[in-house]
Amino acid sequence: MVDPANTKLGRMLLDEITPAVMVLRTPLVEESCRKNGLSLIEMLTPFCNFINIDVPVRTANDQPYRLRKFKLRLFYSAEIRQPNIEVAKERLKQVITHAGDKDITDLCSDAPEIESLIATSEQDFVPSWFPVFNKELIDAVSFSEHEAFDHPVACLVAVSSRDKDPIDKFVDLFNTNQLPSLLNDGAMDPKILKYFLLVHDNQDGMLEKATGILTEMRNTFGANDCRLLCINSSTDDTEEHQENPWAYYKNNASNDQQFGCLLSVDDIEELRNTMQDFSSKHIIPQMELKIRLLNQQVSATRKGFRNQIKNLWWRKGKEDPPENPNSQVYTFSSTEYQIRVLGDYAFMLRDYELALSNYRLISTDYKLDKAWKHYAGVQEMMGLAYFMLDQSRKDAEYCMENAFITYSKLGSAGRRNATRCGIWWAEMLKARDQYKDAAGVYFRISGEEPLHSAVMLEQASYCYLLSTPNMLRKYGFHLVLSGDLYKECDQIKHAIRTYRSALSVFKGTTWSHIRDHVHFHIGKWYALLGMFDEAIKHVLEVLACGHQSEATQELFMRDFFRIIKETGKTFEVLRLQLPIINFPLTKVVFEDHRTYASPAAASIRENVWQSLEEDMVPSLSAVKTNWLESQPKVLPKKYKESNVCVSGVSPMRSMSWAFIGVRSRVVELRREGAEAIKVGVSFKNPLQIPLSVSNISLICEHSVEFEETESDANGSLIDNQNDKELRTVSISGDFSLETSLFTLSEVGISMRRGETILVQLTVTPKIEGILRIVGVRWKLSGSVVGICKFNSDIIRKRVAKGKRKPKQVKDNLHFLVIKSLPRLEGVIHDLPKTVYAGDLRRLTLELRNPSKISVKNLKMRVSHPRFLNLADQEVMDSEFPTCLRKQANSSKSCTEVDVARAANSIFMFPETTTISWEKPLMWPLWFRAAAAGSISLYITIYYEMEDGSMVITYRTLRMHYNLEVLPSLEVSFQTSPCPSRLQEFLVRMDVINRTSAETFQVHQLSCVGDQWDLALLQPVESVCPLEFLMAGQALSCFFKLKKRKTQGSAEDNISSLATSGRADVRLGDDDSRGLFDTTISPLLLFHHHEKVHQERLEKEHGSTVDFILLSESRSDSDAGLPRTKEVFSYHACHCRIASTSPIWWLINGPRSVRHDFSASFCEINLTMTLHNSSEVAVSVRVNTLDSTPLVSLVSSTASSVSGNELGWHDISNLSDLKVTSDVMGTRTGRVTLPPESVSPFIWSGSSSTRLNLDPLSSAEVPLQICVFSPGTFDLSNYTLQWNIVSSNDGGEENGSRVSSGTCQGHSYHITVLQKE
Amino acid sequence: MASTACFMIVSKNDIPIYEAEVGTVPKKEDAAHQHQFILHAALDIVQDMAWTTSAMFLKAIDRFNDLVVSVYVTAGHILSFVSTDLMLSLFFLRIYTYEKRVNILQTLLNPLYLPGSRITSSHFDTKVRALARKYL
Repeated sequence: MVDPANTKLGRMLLDEITPAVMVLRTPLVEESCRKNGLSLIEMLTPFCNFINIDVPVRTANDQPYRLRKFKLRLFYSAEIRQPNIEVAKERLKQVITHAGDKDITDLCSDAPEIESLIATSEQDFVPSWFPVFNKELIDAVSFSEHEAFDHPVACLVAVSSRDKDPIDKFVDLFNTNQLPSLLNDGAMDPKILKYFLLVHDNQDGMLEKATGILTEMRNTFGANDCRLLCINSSTDDTEEHQENPWAYYKNNASNDQQFGCLLSVDDIEELRNTMQDFSSKHIIPQMELKIRLLNQQVSATRKGFRNQIKNLWWRKGKEDPPENPNSQVYTFSSTEYQIRVLGDYAFMLRDYELALSNYRLISTDYKLDKAWKHYAGVQEMMGLAYFMLDQSRKDAEYCMENAFITYSKLGSAGRRNATRCGIWWAEMLKARDQYKDAAGVYFRISGEEPLHSAVMLEQASYCYLLSTPNMLRKYGFHLVLSGDLYKECDQIKHAIRTYRSALSVFKGTTWSHIRDHVHFHIGKWYALLGMFDEAIKHVLEVLACGHQSEATQELFMRDFFRIIKETGKTFEVLRLQLPIINFPLTKVVFEDHRTYASPAAASIRENVWQSLEEDMVPSLSAVKTNWLESQPKVLPKKYKESNVCVSGVSPMRSMSWAFIGVRSRVVELRREGAEAIKVGVSFKNPLQIPLSVSNISLICEHSVEFEETESDANGSLIDNQNDKELRTVSISGDFSLETSLFTLSEVGISMRRGETILVQLTVTPKIEGILRIVGVRWKLSGSVVGICKFNSDIIRKRVAKGKRKPKQVKDNLHFLVIKSLPRLEGVIHDLPKTVYAGDLRRLTLELRNPSKISVKNLKMRVSHPRFLNLADQEVMDSEFPTCLRKQANSSKSCTEVDVARAANSIFMFPETTTISWEKPLMWPLWFRAAAAGSISLYITIYYEMEDGSMVITYRTLRMHYNLEVLPSLEVSFQTSPCPSRLQEFLVRMDVINRTSAETFQVHQLSCVGDQWDLALLQPVESVCPLEFLMAGQALSCFFKLKKRKTQGSAEDNISSLATSGRADVRLGDDDSRGLFDTTISPLLLFHHHEKVHQERLEKEHGSTVDFILLSESRSDSDAGLPRTKEVFSYHACHCRIASTSPIWWLINGPRSVRHDFSASFCEINLTMTLHNSSEVAVSVRVNTLDSTPLVSLVSSTASSVSGNELGWHDISNLSDLKVTSDVMGTRTGRVTLPPESVSPFIWSGSSSTRLNLDPLSSAEVPLQICVFSPGTFDLSNYTLQWNIVSSNDGGEENGSRVSSGTCQGHSYHITVLQKE
Repeated sequence: MASTACFMIVSKNDIPIYEAEVGTVPKKEDAAHQHQFILHAALDIVQDMAWTTSAMFLKAIDRFNDLVVSVYVTAGHILSFVSTDLMLSLFFLRIYTYEKRVNILQTLLNPLYLPGSRITSSHFDTKVRALARKYL
């Protein structure tokens, strides 16, 4: 523990609680002193502070001790009264304002880090003006009558030697009524020690006269109490002092006059001697004397048991205390006053024991008298005495608290005393490292007056900071409180200072309201001071305040824009938080060797395309080496890793490439061959108020040179000021500059509350070089420009292929702009969005090359060759569908499908095909909607540059089309051997129109291959009486199929058959048109694909036959313009000739049911009629399956369409997963269901029924399903297992005859509708 | 009886994960940030106290003017705060059971709940408010 006297409080007390001396002087004395620029007190004060006075003191007890430090306080008589409250307030305000003005300089600097703040010592961060302020506060309550230490101990009477009648003047001075009220109204003893000082100005000469007066004085007032003081001995006014004792006053005086300029060294020595003499020979002995005297009195009257009893008795017996306790209850003659004086004198002479005992004695008296102010004063002094004695901390604190509370209870009268008491108390606690408690005390001091409270709260906050452990949050909180109060008193600089300090605590806090409050207010206050940069910086922090109420958000925005308006400038703000940019959504889209025909194509995942282009394009590594070999200079190595974009102006087109796998999207922005880079930026408005955002554009850097450094000297457009967060620019000038090198698109949006908008921004480079997309820029509400830099690490990206190194991913906004390359544009004309299954069309592919460089080596690949195929070019000229019809001179030129070509489905355009400038290539395509469902067609066209010197030798054009294929006719074939003839078969064809409204005309059935002959069993009219197949209509007809024996005897067989055609049967009766030739390109080609596609169903060998049913659509009668007839082809491949199943079955039941599903689910009863067509008894088991394989088909189709699957794939593969190896049924032409029939149903009857069927007999099996929702259901999910019970015929003459088998259920559609 | 209270749940590292202003007094504009300031400052006290006492419920641990801060500290040092101008022990009792709810909720959310992220469950919010209405 340090010596209490050396603590801050100790020093303060030794300074403050010292004997006061009243100074009386004549005006002439003052005049003489003024010559030095000093008043009398100012001149004397430096010599009243004695560091080592070394005076022996003997107080109450006989043991003397020596006093080292001593100090006198000098006051003019006019000052000895209670200071005016208003004046004191004004002074305090001045102190604060002055302090505030002083540290305005560092208001702009950043708030210090809190860690470093803790590390520094107290003096470094606690403002230095706090002690000054505290002293002013304490001085504000000096000279109160209830305390004696401010009462003058002595009186210094100074008269000039120039005064007339100096002796009278001495007497007059003391006797006038100008004496302070303390002396006049009896609060203190008017008989105080007087010391007479004759001041002689040496400039006036006449030292003899002065000595004469002194002699006279000595005679009048006594020899010891008089003294002559000679000043202004120096002849010239250039007296310099080594250590100017008045240096302290320098700050207050504005003139440059040297203080004490007329005082010679001798004068100063004399001043010092005078004061020393005054203190040691007069004041201290006088005080000693008084102490001893009073002590004797007090001992006599109050000490001892008898006196105590008496005193108690007397006090008890006293009447109620007077109404006004502060009035002259205790005059100087009262015992209480004397005890108090005794205590104070002892305190001043450092005899704290004596002081304490007296204070204790008096405090009980005061308490009994209910003289609370006196009581509090004594308690206060007791606490201080305890402190100075450094004993009994608890008592000290208790006394201080007691005093504080008592003062506080007095209300307004005691508040200032309470403040002083609190300051002392807090200092006391601080001296003992009880910072936390000190903070509490400071907090209690802060009362009504906001300015005082602000300072006190700030002091409290520093106490929290200094306490161990650091209470940072309290620190911040109290700083904020104090700042608010400062603001209330218009001390904005102080307010900012405190808030800034608080910011070091609250920086990065997740307590949103706190953060917003601090930043918003500090920003507002900076704006009041006109420091707009700082203001905006802070207000920016709170703009994205989605959690605040709408009113608050509006307030923030309004103030923000007001500040912006006040600056009168356009600000460019890095990290503007409004609107928020969602970084992961930022998409970078560009074209390199991959080009896209449409935006939809660009949105397809890259690996879909890659799998499609796998065999077509040279492999990546090979490409790389090729480039390096051929173009080493054009491509510095490091740029291999950068992205490439395509750009160019008309004479010099450029192009670029990229190795990254950002999910990219390309939007066409074609300006004379320049290819745009498109960046999708998603903006989000976090607020509940609408925002208007305009001038959204990208920020790009363009450098022409392929230099190493990326800082672009001449080509740079936007100076890249990374570190500056705020700058002022004129937007328009910047923008026009940019247009010379690249073009930026500008977008304006207005965002509703909480809205997220994806904005597509483009940049189109015009000149070769390096382009870097630096960031995005936007204008908020037309006044603030926000800038957001895309740091590469912010943008998340995916590495598309494993072979790419992660480091290459680094810079995907870095583009190399190179010379332009041809870029094909392709479109398929007339590709329908919705077609019926089986629709066969001829389409036209148009490829256009806008560039002057022609391309060659075209290759094309289609993801679904079942759907789309390239035709021969000569088809272009012929008319469709007439070209499909059989010509009279039908040549069998292309009967064989180029299997190899069909297999890999890469179509090589003829070598000669080059597409040159502005001469589009038209190429016919065959299209056939092979299967129902949603189909995504991916078409990629590969081409190479004619000009070999290009950086990129090839490009691909990617096209993407979605189409919906609706089910149309459902065709199934059933063949059974003709019992009477060998190699003749009965064919039953079932055709059902599955469409809702379409009408078809069945035109022709063809049998593929040379070895078959086909003929109708019945005449045409009986087959199709209505000629058309209406929606929902079914048609069955029978044919005779005959195998040709040999090629040579074909003619005979034809003649034996009823109608014309070898393998084709006309079904309609319209003879006007010829039959279609199934052996020519499109039909044969598609048939091949169908055959490949359906192949897997038939594992076993055996003779099969393929059928093609051709139909035509019949346009509606009410349609205005006649629609062109559309040709539909249906392929049923691998139809088994011989049926292996001995059973036939049929489901009977309602086709359409209406049911009210709100009541219950729907039960539908069905019956299955089974017929055994074989000669043996058959055991049949009907298994119903609740899992619906066809449903999974539909869903998987949908998912493949949505792009979840990689690459393109065959839809039907999935559909047949259910039908695995045990399938031996006859059904091959499987029907895909329309997507609306996916709703489930369950079989509610017995799941397995077994029955025996006698030969050639029939049986009925009841079935039941439960349907839970309306829809169309296909009840094909059942199987029939049959066993031949008794196989009597041992040797199996027919290879296809087996003893058991499983048949897949026929499809049976049932429609359930909601009952109205 | 007009009273106001701010109920907060603060996870480790001072991150507020739940916040509700409850009470019968119509909401003042500056109440939200004032409550946050008080509660944030009270964390200092809580940090000291939490290690010195075995009690989990620290009643009236800090006060600012007429606002009293009471804290329930869980074993994992997730804190729930109540600041109110009226000490209603019943409410605190309910808060105690609530704390269990929080724990349950957090374990329920465990696979998805990231420590330190906000509780955004509207169900939890309505429950808290309903209880507050009941006892305030």
